Formats: sequence, C-alpha cells, structure tokens
Amino acid sequence: MKFADFVSREAISAELIATDKEGAIREMVQALLNAGQIEATEFESIVKAILKREELGSTGIGRGIAVPHTKHPSVDRLVGAVAVSHEGVDFDSLDGEVVHLLFLLISPPDKPGDHLRALENISRQLRADTFCRFLKQSKTADDIRQLLDEADNSQFVS
Amino acid sequence: MSELTATRTIVVTNESGIHARAATLVAELVRRFDSKVVLVKDRERVEGTDVLQILSLGAGRGNELSLEATGHDAERVLNALVQLFDENFSEEDGEVEDCEAENKQ
Repeated sequence: MKFADFVSREAISAELIATDKEGAIREMVQALLNAGQIEATEFESIVKAILKREELGSTGIGRGIAVPHTKHPSVDRLVGAVAVSHEGVDFDSLDGEVVHLLFLLISPPDKPGDHLRALENISRQLRADTFCRFLKQSKTADDIRQLLDEADNSQFVS
Repeated sequence: MSELTATRTIVVTNESGIHARAATLVAELVRRFDSKVVLVKDRERVEGTDVLQILSLGAGRGNELSLEATGHDAERVLNALVQLFDENFSEEDGEVEDCEAENKQ
C-alpha cells in the first residue's frame, strides 16, 4: 500500500497549531472534514473514538512519531491525514518525547487488513532516517506531498 | 562464556494482526527483560523493543514469525511473548468492541 492510497492530499498540514493530544487530533480530523473525507455529523464521534483508543495506550510509538487511529462505521474506505508539528505535541509517547510527525487513520471496521498495510507502509518509510528528517523539516503542505510521492516511488527505502 | 539463546515460532492468530497496540505490548514486554529479542518474518529481522520496526513487518493473521532471544533470561522472555500471542493481545479484542459499541450510540 502507498501513501497515495489512503492519505487525503487536502488533509496535509506542515504547521500543526495544537501542542496537546486532543487539540492535535481535533485539528487533523477537521482537516479530513474540510477535505470532504468525513461527514460533519460524524466529527465528534470520530474524535471521541480516537481519544478512547488513546486511553488504551498512546499511539505515540517513539522517535517523534504518532499514529492516532480508530475504526469507524461512517467511512467505507481507509482515510488518512498527515501533520507536522515543529513545536512538538505532548502525546504521552512511549519514549517520553514530544511528537513531530502525525499520521491519523480512520478505517472501516470490516477492513482490518487495510489498516495494517497502512501502518506497515508508514512505519517502513519512517524507518528511513532521510525520509523522517526531510518530513520534519517540511515548511509547506506541498513539501510534504512531494515527500510522500517520492516515498511512494521508493526514493527512500530500497 | 557464550550467551544463552532461545527461539520460538509462532503464528499470528488475532484478526487485526500486529497493529499499533499489539506492537506496543510486544515492545513493552521485551523491555522488561534483559535479553535482546529479534522478530523475524520472511527473513526480515527487527528489534523487539522498537514499535516502529515491529509495525514495519506488517504481520497479519496467519503470518508466521520467529522469535529469537539472546541473554540470561532468553527462555523467560520468549515464554512471556508466546503467552501474549496465544492470548491474542487480549486488550485488543476489548478495544475493538469498545470502539464499535461507542460508535453505535
């Protein structure tokens, strides 16, 4: 699976404003709403589900990366948003560090395989230090789009 | 003195595979022991303490993994890991049910 298969190109932000977990999640879900990927009536339900998932254990998986996510019946395909925070978000990460790269995923309940493939792609790409570093240095959404495209074309992982 | 090594082969049986929560539980468990643990899938080897690396395996239901441990508590860490897999990361099932119940409200 490639980034282009699940990341909404209009839900990419190089300047996440919030520095707390809930604020960051709300901002990213709002980006998906603005991009027309989710229904306005489902906004609160989706945010609540993602926060509930965080209560079970942070998705701040270390190295400045977080993958907040939930299954939700209102989507019929996997949708994702990407955000970069230059200041860092307090995400209760496993390693105690703030988070700079966030990949938010909402998947249909009946497609756990797609969710796993997306996580595999994200983590495989982020293992490449160059990709991770360039992403953190992104100044605009276009910078991020270009990096995701390059990653999809195997520019960073052999 | 040579270090103790142990290996096990397991099959992922939970529906969602080793996703974020499961990978985190694996890493947290391995960190409680001294032995170095490596997870192997299709010749790809990753550190048992690194959630990002574990996720990058994309291990889904039915996939076979080898677990390798080196250190004085190698057997113990692998026994604990096998139990975690056998229990299908018990918290995960609750997670799925909780979220779906939430969404139906």
